Amino acid sequence: MAANTNVEEEARSIPVKEQMHVLRRIIKFTKPYLKQFVTAVLLVILLAVVNALQPRVIQTFIDDHLAVGTATQATAVKFGLIYFGLTLFKMVFTFLELYLFSMASEKTVQNVRDQLFEKIHRLGMRFFDSTSTGWIVTRVTNDTEALKDFWNVLLNIIQSSLSILTTFGAMLLLDWQISLWILAFVPVLIIITRFYQVYSSRTYSEMKNKNSLLNTQLAESINGMSTIQQFRQEQRMIEEFEATNDSYFQSRFSMTKINAILLSPIINLLYTIAIVAILGLFGYDALQGPVEVGVIYAFTSYVNLFFQPLTRLMDNLSLFQDGVISSERILKVMDEEAYAPEQQAIPNLKIEEAKIEFKQVTFSYDGETEVLKDINFTVNPGETVALVGHTGSGKSSIINVLMRFYEYQEGEVLIDGHSLREFPIEELRAEIGLVLQDSFMFYGTIKDNIRLLDDTISDREIVEAAEFVQANRFIEKLPDKYNHKVVERGAGFSSGEKQLLSFASTIVKDPKILILDEATANIDTETEILIQEGLNRMREGRTTVAIAHRLSTIRDADQILVLEAGEIVERGTHEELIELGGRYNEMYELQNLGLQTEE
Amino acid sequence: MNIYRKLSWFFKDKWKSYTTAVIALMIVAVLQLIPPRIIGVVIDEIATDMITTNSLIRWLVLLVLTALAQYGLRYVWRVRIWGNAARLERIVRNRLYRHFTKMDSEFYQKYRTGDLMAHATNDLRALRMVAGGGIVTMADSLSITLVTISAMFVVIDWRLTLLAIIPLPFLAIVSRYLGRMLHTRFREAQAAFSQMNNKVQESLQGVKVIKTFGQEREDILQFQEQTENILDKNRAVYQVDSLFDPALQLIIGISYVIAIIVGGFLILDTEITVGEFVTFISYIGMLVWPMFAIGRLFNIIERGSASYDRIELLLNEKSSIVERQGASDEPVAGDIEYKIDSFTYPDDKMPALEKIHFELKKGNTLGVVGKTGSGKTTLIKLLLREYDHYAGQIKFDGQDIREVTFDALLNSIGYVPQDNFLFSTSIRDNIRFSDPTLPQEEVEKAAKIADIHQDIIEMPEGYDTQTGERGVSLSGGQKQRVSIARALIKNPELMILDDSLSAVDAKTEEKILEGLRDLRDDQTTIIIAHRISSLIHADEIIVLEDGKISERGTHEELLKNESWYSEMYDKQQLEEDSSELGEGE
Repeated sequence: MAANTNVEEEARSIPVKEQMHVLRRIIKFTKPYLKQFVTAVLLVILLAVVNALQPRVIQTFIDDHLAVGTATQATAVKFGLIYFGLTLFKMVFTFLELYLFSMASEKTVQNVRDQLFEKIHRLGMRFFDSTSTGWIVTRVTNDTEALKDFWNVLLNIIQSSLSILTTFGAMLLLDWQISLWILAFVPVLIIITRFYQVYSSRTYSEMKNKNSLLNTQLAESINGMSTIQQFRQEQRMIEEFEATNDSYFQSRFSMTKINAILLSPIINLLYTIAIVAILGLFGYDALQGPVEVGVIYAFTSYVNLFFQPLTRLMDNLSLFQDGVISSERILKVMDEEAYAPEQQAIPNLKIEEAKIEFKQVTFSYDGETEVLKDINFTVNPGETVALVGHTGSGKSSIINVLMRFYEYQEGEVLIDGHSLREFPIEELRAEIGLVLQDSFMFYGTIKDNIRLLDDTISDREIVEAAEFVQANRFIEKLPDKYNHKVVERGAGFSSGEKQLLSFASTIVKDPKILILDEATANIDTETEILIQEGLNRMREGRTTVAIAHRLSTIRDADQILVLEAGEIVERGTHEELIELGGRYNEMYELQNLGLQTEE
Repeated sequence: MNIYRKLSWFFKDKWKSYTTAVIALMIVAVLQLIPPRIIGVVIDEIATDMITTNSLIRWLVLLVLTALAQYGLRYVWRVRIWGNAARLERIVRNRLYRHFTKMDSEFYQKYRTGDLMAHATNDLRALRMVAGGGIVTMADSLSITLVTISAMFVVIDWRLTLLAIIPLPFLAIVSRYLGRMLHTRFREAQAAFSQMNNKVQESLQGVKVIKTFGQEREDILQFQEQTENILDKNRAVYQVDSLFDPALQLIIGISYVIAIIVGGFLILDTEITVGEFVTFISYIGMLVWPMFAIGRLFNIIERGSASYDRIELLLNEKSSIVERQGASDEPVAGDIEYKIDSFTYPDDKMPALEKIHFELKKGNTLGVVGKTGSGKTTLIKLLLREYDHYAGQIKFDGQDIREVTFDALLNSIGYVPQDNFLFSTSIRDNIRFSDPTLPQEEVEKAAKIADIHQDIIEMPEGYDTQTGERGVSLSGGQKQRVSIARALIKNPELMILDDSLSAVDAKTEEKILEGLRDLRDDQTTIIIAHRISSLIHADEIIVLEDGKISERGTHEELLKNESWYSEMYDKQQLEEDSSELGEGE
């Protein structure tokens, strides 16, 4: 889903008004670093002035000394030193300006990133369940990175405008009539820039899309190479890849052509034509009467300063578009309102007995379809309740409610007689341990994966927890035992071993309430037995809510709830439900029957 | 420079356009000398009052003409050189891709996807820079430097020139030095960025765990450490990066100062005119870029040749699996015979398979069980010719499988692996991956037997639903069933299910297996499974332990053995006894 909206975003062009709106909002993130940005811009102004002064030094040297014959060797040295002094100024200013600006924009990116990440952690499971991981990752990493280019474009715009303004001012001071003639170039420049922007941005985004398509195809082929080879589809894949590669080349080539026609060569051409105009105008004046030649020199230098920043500016314009698109996406996450459910916490409220009650709980994900209807049940301290039912019957939704992943709409969930909403979230997280169906492993060591991010857990506690769930059996066979490296997503560990580790990380916190979402994946029988033992040990003395797929886990449950379409249709112990001869019994019989025919 | 020799195949092929481009570049270098000279001449004519309407017009027309010629020639060389650079990139990228399709699993174990991607993107970019920016820099800076300096010598004054260009070589040195420093620091900054990228990825994939343990705060702190690290690394980058321009200003400033002082002296001695002085100052300005670029050129070449070496290294990797000369291309069909004495994975000491001898008659079904790591999948990998170096033989239809072509062997096999890879395309095209021209009916037929048809039509876009990276995420069981359909649609002589029903519940599994039995009555099947109930119908079952066959026989025979197999069966029975409730997924 997310991927589709992605493509749409790239394809459409954003109206100018919206661009400005996005710009205004994203610029707010620069606030903490405003001082540095302002200093950098002030330095840019100073630089523009020094740049305008330098040709004046040479012009004065020529007109006041060389041309009129009053120059001595001392004046030559004097002017040389003045020029050198200005150069030193320029050096320092340039360094400071570049450094301050880059750092300020880097810090802004950091600011955006940190805020974005914090924001994401405030969002509820609803957001994560409906948005692909890859989409969010790109927002936090690449889109924020694109902001840097974006600031640079803004700086470039400021720089070019300032340098155009100051050089124009300098020209006015020298000869205002001829300066006004130079103004005639401004509309031409604007037209060319606009022209370039229109053509290049289209080709540029096309090129970028094709490049990402190319890389996607490549990565996918590498990952799926054994499948391609087994199905003998190499030739077809090569042809598809080469077609993409070729169309990427074609758009890159168009981009090259556009740049060659409209970018630096044309600016160069205009520059020379401006020189022609200046020489023509001064030459015309000279035909009428005397003209100061140094002024001609200064003017030609100014024209250079006038045109110089434009190439870079135009070259960067496509990045501006990227910046707007990236900013828009960042803001989309910042505006996201699928927050995690809020607590109305009573401070220091503790879970003591761990008695769980669901009272007439009704819950819906989308506000329309009720996935839980009037759910009532009680789990007494230390007892186990098992949830049984088909996919979509509402088992997972009960867990989502109990874990505060989603907000429930009606009824009340109570722990020790207090609403779930009244406990500080930290207390809920500390005392309710959820064992997930697919155990996720983090990059780090075995120890890190048991302790997770809680530094207060000692190494001894980790070993004890691992021993308790018998994960120590395989951990101790590893070369570095508890310090064994876990690579991305725990590759190299069997799913059974991962399960045992996640048991250990739950049990190390010693929660009063245990929620089990049993895994369905087939695990080899020997590990399976360890897992069952682990589950039984963990349940000891803890209030437990278990989603079960295997009856062996729940046969001894104090209560079994059979869910169907969001309602509890049967409840009782295993024996009672068999006795009842309803849905549960039916399922049970069906399974037994299946086994008998197999034999 | 070595890199240009290595790439000579490309330059030879494109020598015409490169020659045109370089000639254009050189003419531009010469033409560039004209405007400053004209400015100088006009200034002198004005200063000495020699100017006339005619002479002024003549100079201006000449100026316009050179400007137009420059514009045209710049277009010519830019399109040629940058176009060729992109062409080189395209050619090498295609070459890499073709090479990837020929590589064996050893290669893919040695190089991770990320590495290969980096070669195909970053290294190709560096290569493009060599063929584009490298050539431009070399030709342009050399010609501009030579032409401009000689003009300064000849037209203006040799003493002035000699003194004024003293600082310029330092530009090349400084830009090379800073460029190197920048590169190292930049790489560190990039590493910091990708670390952060991994961190975000992991946090998001594990977000449920983080929420469960209430560790949002800690996770945010860890993330901030990462962004702080990025800031530090980038600070180091900017410290160097911000030095480039000032260094350039200083060196060029010194040249200007020398020109002002010495030029002033020379004007005083009437050795040069004011106009010549102005021309000279413009020429110095023109030398800045080439000098700076020469320094950069070294960095481009250095990076480019390192990149090309890496690419060549990849391209020189040989697949250990090759088709024999004169291999039979008759599609194989018939009995399969394993006679493997031993097989050891490359870089391993212990053999992964030992003394595997069995026969599988055409139309029969073989079951394989064993603990994780006992060699079940290895057994299949050899049949699929992922590894060729084993002692012994595997015969299909009486022929050593290494004596037939890949087409003949693999087109007869439908393999469903443990980890299923689906492509980013529609479910339909995933199922008919072996032949995209197959009609919808065939696709549906395969999907029905794989018990995935119902799931597919319930999806919003049915068979057009996109899968993979950019599409919907299928459950593990759905993926497995799609890949069963994908193998089935080939109607292969031999079908191999390698633990490929592990995420499907027992009932569905039985249904699929039954469907397969009906459809593939006279074709051969190999089933690898943990769940013994999947193997009950097999004509023979072999039990693997540490790469050796520990037990073999039919289900009934193995039960009588009262060994590992029957033990496992009892354990699973106990579980299955209480059995599954609800669906498997």
